[in-house]
Amino acid sequence: MYTKLAWRNLWRNRKRTMITVSAIVFAVVASVFMQSMNRGSHEVMIDNMVRFHTGYIQLQDYRYEDESSLDNSFHYNHETEERIKRVHNRIGEVLPRIETFMLAGDDASIRGALVLGIDPDKEHAFNRIRDHLTEGSFFGLNDQTVVVSEGLARRLGLGVGDQLLLLGQGRFGMTASGLFEIAGLMQHPLRDMNNQTVYMALPAAQNLLSADEYVTAALIELTRENAAGTVAAALSEEFADDNLIAWTWPELIPELLQLLEFDLVGAYFMSGVLYLVIGFGFFGTILTMTLERMREFGVLLSVGMSRRRLASVVFLETLFISIIGVAAGVAAAWLIIYYFYLNPVQLTGDVAETVIEMGWDPVLPMSFAADQFYMQGIIVFLLAMVVFLFPLVKVFKLNILEAARR
Amino acid sequence: MSIVKTENLSKVYNPDTVPVHALKDVTLSFEQGEFTSVVGPSGSGKTTLLNMIGGLDKPTSGSVEIDGFVITGLKDSKLIDFRLNNIGFVFQHYNLIPVFTAFENVSFIMLLQKRDKKELKQRAEELLKAVGLGDRMDAIPSKMSGGQQQRVAVARALASEPKFILADEPTANLDSEAAMNLLDIMEVMNRDKNITFIFSTHDQRVIDRARRVITMVDGAIYSDEVKEVALVNN
Ligand SMILES: Nc1ncnc2c1ncn2[C@@H]1O[C@H](COP(=O)(O)OP(=O)(O)OP(=O)(O)O)[C@@H](O)[C@H]1O
Ligand SMILES: [Mg+2]
Repeated sequence: MYTKLAWRNLWRNRKRTMITVSAIVFAVVASVFMQSMNRGSHEVMIDNMVRFHTGYIQLQDYRYEDESSLDNSFHYNHETEERIKRVHNRIGEVLPRIETFMLAGDDASIRGALVLGIDPDKEHAFNRIRDHLTEGSFFGLNDQTVVVSEGLARRLGLGVGDQLLLLGQGRFGMTASGLFEIAGLMQHPLRDMNNQTVYMALPAAQNLLSADEYVTAALIELTRENAAGTVAAALSEEFADDNLIAWTWPELIPELLQLLEFDLVGAYFMSGVLYLVIGFGFFGTILTMTLERMREFGVLLSVGMSRRRLASVVFLETLFISIIGVAAGVAAAWLIIYYFYLNPVQLTGDVAETVIEMGWDPVLPMSFAADQFYMQGIIVFLLAMVVFLFPLVKVFKLNILEAARR
Repeated sequence: MSIVKTENLSKVYNPDTVPVHALKDVTLSFEQGEFTSVVGPSGSGKTTLLNMIGGLDKPTSGSVEIDGFVITGLKDSKLIDFRLNNIGFVFQHYNLIPVFTAFENVSFIMLLQKRDKKELKQRAEELLKAVGLGDRMDAIPSKMSGGQQQRVAVARALASEPKFILADEPTANLDSEAAMNLLDIMEVMNRDKNITFIFSTHDQRVIDRARRVITMVDGAIYSDEVKEVALVNN
């Protein structure tokens, strides 16, 4: 009957209840939306980083971390690949890469460049690298041509069909130099890399660097992202005798993660402001709602309802309101975010240009991660409950006569 | 033994700013089965007196004893419990729970007393029939007339089987027909079940039906008359 009382009280003033519920719905939607936008852009960043730079897991010589030199590369062939794949059933493709810094240019100008030897087909399957081609074509595994990132090509004043000189050091101090035809130009999705990257086929790179059958890293694709930790541990164990170690992506890009973390602090602050606004909004509603009902409370106490009982009825009411509001809010947020997830907001004007400049799609990415729905739901729910403490306090402090006189 | 006794009861509102002496040294006693009206001009202290007796307010000095039990100085939670099991209330503004039906309003009190569900249902029905609302048990207060609501309030007050019923101007918001009807019901309860009623009023026709009339002026008892033959009046 107490539940009945609470439930009916809720619908006694339908309008007021609806207003409160809408406020909660709005709060949930707003906070999920904000989170989603923040996390969306971060997810895109991390995704690009992982796909084009680090992979989910990298198998490296354990010395490579301290000294990223070709001397710390490791032997890799088809058997190595098979061995890696056998370690864990969550392992998908294995992408061998050889990576080193060289000088790149022609007789007119020269610049530092990151030279990456890759398997173009595997790479494309993993990160759709060919889609980022802006001009020309991509090399095949056995070609001797290169693809240069646009930023670097522009600085060097080179285009498709031109010859690129690469100059540097191979394994164990061997001189490495060669002339390669530029087969294509690409827009690299990572801004830093767009200004300095040269892609070439793995065998060509190994040849150039006197490192036949050697790679600096093997990137491991996972069929389930969250298996990174266990897979990495298994790999490290399997290849311990070969002096290899497996790093997970968060270990490989701590700076980026720190940066994003820092960015999130700002986002949390904004969320905090939002919560504050929401909280005060609730408080206003609850305040009038409670004051309106003082008399009713007074009567209930007069006729012998204990304060604890009354408080639990009022608490039930707020619980109902909060649950309804949060549930509706999460549902609404889910629908809205889902919509934007399928139809991302297109950016226009200066913003769009800046974003394209940075190598990203001119859309507002939205995260669809499940946890933000229930996290924000829970936060708003707790917030509502805290605000709703006010009527409870009132019930315990209420002077019966004063209340009944209203 | 008296069912209610007050001993030198005084109440001063706002003692620190503008003191109002609402009750001055009131010593009274009420016996089981009384049908008593407290009358007096506005501001004379009727409500204050009833609030003291009902344990809704604390006296500045003096004490209230109910059925041999001193309630003055009881803890708030103890008082609430005491009221629930010993005193029935009917207020001027019908104080029913708006979202509950007449039946639920009456049974609610018994639920607070943790009574047996079946007994509770039966008793609520009986009481509502007794106040002439056997056919309105499922109506909510806003769908009932003032007189009907006040009768539900009486049924509710009786439900807890209190030692006595306090009613502060129960007829003030009723037209005279509904007022007389309410009085009839109270009288029947008083006569047949020996229920003690203490009510305040301004209405001369209600005063006429009381068997004891306590007149207050300025917070003090001005007169206290017992009319043994008042019942003839009908
Ligand atoms: N909470 C309060 N604070 C200050 N003064 C009060 C308070 N309650 C009552 N009074 C004063 O105490 C006196 C007695 O008031 P009370 O309400 O008991 O009178 P009453 O006889 O019930 O009047 P009425 O017939 O108008 O209901 C009045 O002067 C009133 O103004
Ligand atoms: Mg009064």
